[in-house]
This record gives sequence, structure tokens and C-alpha cells, in this order.
Amino acid sequence: MLKLIVLTPESEYFQGNVKSVKVPGVSGQFEILANHAALLSALSKGKVRIIKEDGQKETFEIESGFIEVLRNEVALLVRGISN
Amino acid sequence: MGANLKEVRDRIKSVISTQQITKAMKMVSAAKFRKAQQAITQIRPYADRLNRMMKNIAANTDGGSTLVYNQERDVKKVMLVVVTSSRGLCGAFNTNVVKAAVASIEGKYSQVYKDGNLSILCIGKKGFDGLKRRYPKAHFNTESVDLFMNLAFENVASVSGKIMGLFAGKEYDEVAVAYSRFKNAAMQFAEVEQFLPIPKQDETTQKKVKADYIFEPDQDTLLETLIPNILQLQFHKYLLDTHASEHGARMTSMDKATENAEELLKALKINYNKARQESITKELLEIVAGAAALEG
Repeated sequence: MLKLIVLTPESEYFQGNVKSVKVPGVSGQFEILANHAALLSALSKGKVRIIKEDGQKETFEIESGFIEVLRNEVALLVRGISN
Repeated sequence: MGANLKEVRDRIKSVISTQQITKAMKMVSAAKFRKAQQAITQIRPYADRLNRMMKNIAANTDGGSTLVYNQERDVKKVMLVVVTSSRGLCGAFNTNVVKAAVASIEGKYSQVYKDGNLSILCIGKKGFDGLKRRYPKAHFNTESVDLFMNLAFENVASVSGKIMGLFAGKEYDEVAVAYSRFKNAAMQFAEVEQFLPIPKQDETTQKKVKADYIFEPDQDTLLETLIPNILQLQFHKYLLDTHASEHGARMTSMDKATENAEELLKALKINYNKARQESITKELLEIVAGAAALEG
């Protein structure tokens, strides 16, 4: 299980436990699962897909951002969120 | 005596209506102030995380990167961003920011100004009003004067992005911001801060967080994309701080004004009652005197 927090400069978009996060990295899309190694990456414009604890999917678009993964905690800092 | 009574009554009326205005303005400012304060608290988690990321990256590089925003050049052309409010009635708030700007123009940037190489970017009308006549040789830019009308992050980011572009393109060698740092409703500090090049940080304060991060792309490229973001955030913070300061200052000054009106009202009411009693006594005296004359 991963702890995810999605932040924009203006608000907190999402916080909670998730099974996986798929993000548009600058050098290609990738997905974070539990026990991922520590990672820092820039994100480009594209779709983010979250699979929540209960299996529910949620997707949204971002303009740009960064992702940090450390000990099963994922922080997504993004700009220009739209559904 | 009758004329005096009416005069005092009119003054009381006008003081009361002024007081109502100041009271209403205080309420409005209080509401706006709360919102402005909230905006500051909301940006904090994002800002903290972003800064932490940068530290993490910096701790894992050799630190030898030469970024364009770190570049220190001979200071020949300077841009001074003056952030004030567009409206008055907020005590010494705008004056303080203008004063801080003046101090830096006459101090640090006096040579630059004399050479005619100082540009002043005004955000908020009051800064422009306060500086334009004083410094005819400076280039004033009022494109973003109404930025406070829309403080959405992307909107502000486009302005700061432009400034950063100008710095990177060597249009300016230094960019400073005069703004009002927000502490609480009663305390604001007008300050001039260097925005670009990025002021050097104390190496010792940087705690080394060694984790085996996978960096994607490599550290240097990551830094290059992170730093503009952090700068935009920093710039946004200047605006939010000033915004909260403005409303805080207006709130306190309007509160003072309401209080002063209250005191004035008290004094006027005493005057009014004195005059009224005097005229009653006088009338009574006349009546008594008249009756006595009739009886006599």
C-alpha cells in the first residue's frame, strides 16, 4: 500500500492510500507500486492515473510537475490540474 | 444658541456616517484578510515539499552546477519590482513599501539609476503613484499593475516567468522585489529582497539527506526544471504576503478610525447636551422672568 498526496500551489488535491500511481514522466510514462525504490522525477504534460485502495480508478490531467517516492510515500507536486 | 445646537447635531450625524463606513470597511477587510491568510497557509505544504526536493537533489549532486539563475554578473541593469496595493486607506502600508524601495534606489542602486538603467515594475497602483515623479530617469513598467485582481498561481507565474526570462536573456543583471512581509494583522515588514540571481545560501544549514534516489532525468536537468518552479513560487509568495499585509493593515487602520470616531462622538455628544441644557435653562429663565413681570 502506498500513501499518496497530490498537491498544487493552491490546494491539496488528493490524500489517501492507493495501490498504484501512473504518471507521465519526462522520459516516459511509468507506474509506482508499493515498495518502489526512492525516486525523484520531473513530469511532463499528461494523464495521471490513481488506483485507490478499494480498486477505484481516478484519472486527471496535469500540465507539469514532480514526483517524489520515498519509503512507500508518494508526493505529487503538480500544476494545472484538470479532470 | 439654537444655531450652535444644530451645528453640533449635524457634526454628530456626519461622524456617525463616517464611522459606519470605516466599520464596514473593517469588516470587508477582515473577510478578505482571512482569505488572503488562507492562501498563504495553502501554498505552504506545496512549497515545503518542493524545497525539500531541491535539498534532496542538491545533497546528491556535487553542487558544481552552473545554472543561469545563479549567475552573478556585473550589476549594470536592474529591475526593481515594487509590490503595493492599488487602494489606499490602509495606514502607512504603502508608504512603507515605497520608502523601502526609495532606500534601495538611493543606496544600493544609486549608480544604476544615475546611468538610467533602472527599471521599475509596479504591481499595485500605489507604488507607481509614489515613485514615478520622484524618479523620472527610471523606466516604469505598469503592465502588471492590476495583478492583484487575479492572484491565481498560473497568472502570477506567467509574470514571474517573464521576469526570469528577462534575467536569463541578460536584459537585467539583478532583480529585486520591494514588498511587505506578512507576520500578523498588526505587523508587516516592508522589505527589499534580491530575487535574482538566487542569493547564496549558507552551506551549513543544508542538512544532507542521503537516500539512494533514482533521478529521472539526471540531477542537473531535474534541478534546472525545479528551480524555475521554486522561483515562481517565491514570487507568488511575495504577492500573497503583500496581499495579506494590505488587508491586515487596512483592518487595523479602519479599526483605529472607528475607535477615533467613537471618541469624537463622545465629546460631541457632551457638547451637544451641554448646549441643549443651556438653552433649556435659558428658556426657563425667560419664562420665569416673564411670569414674574406679569405678576409684579
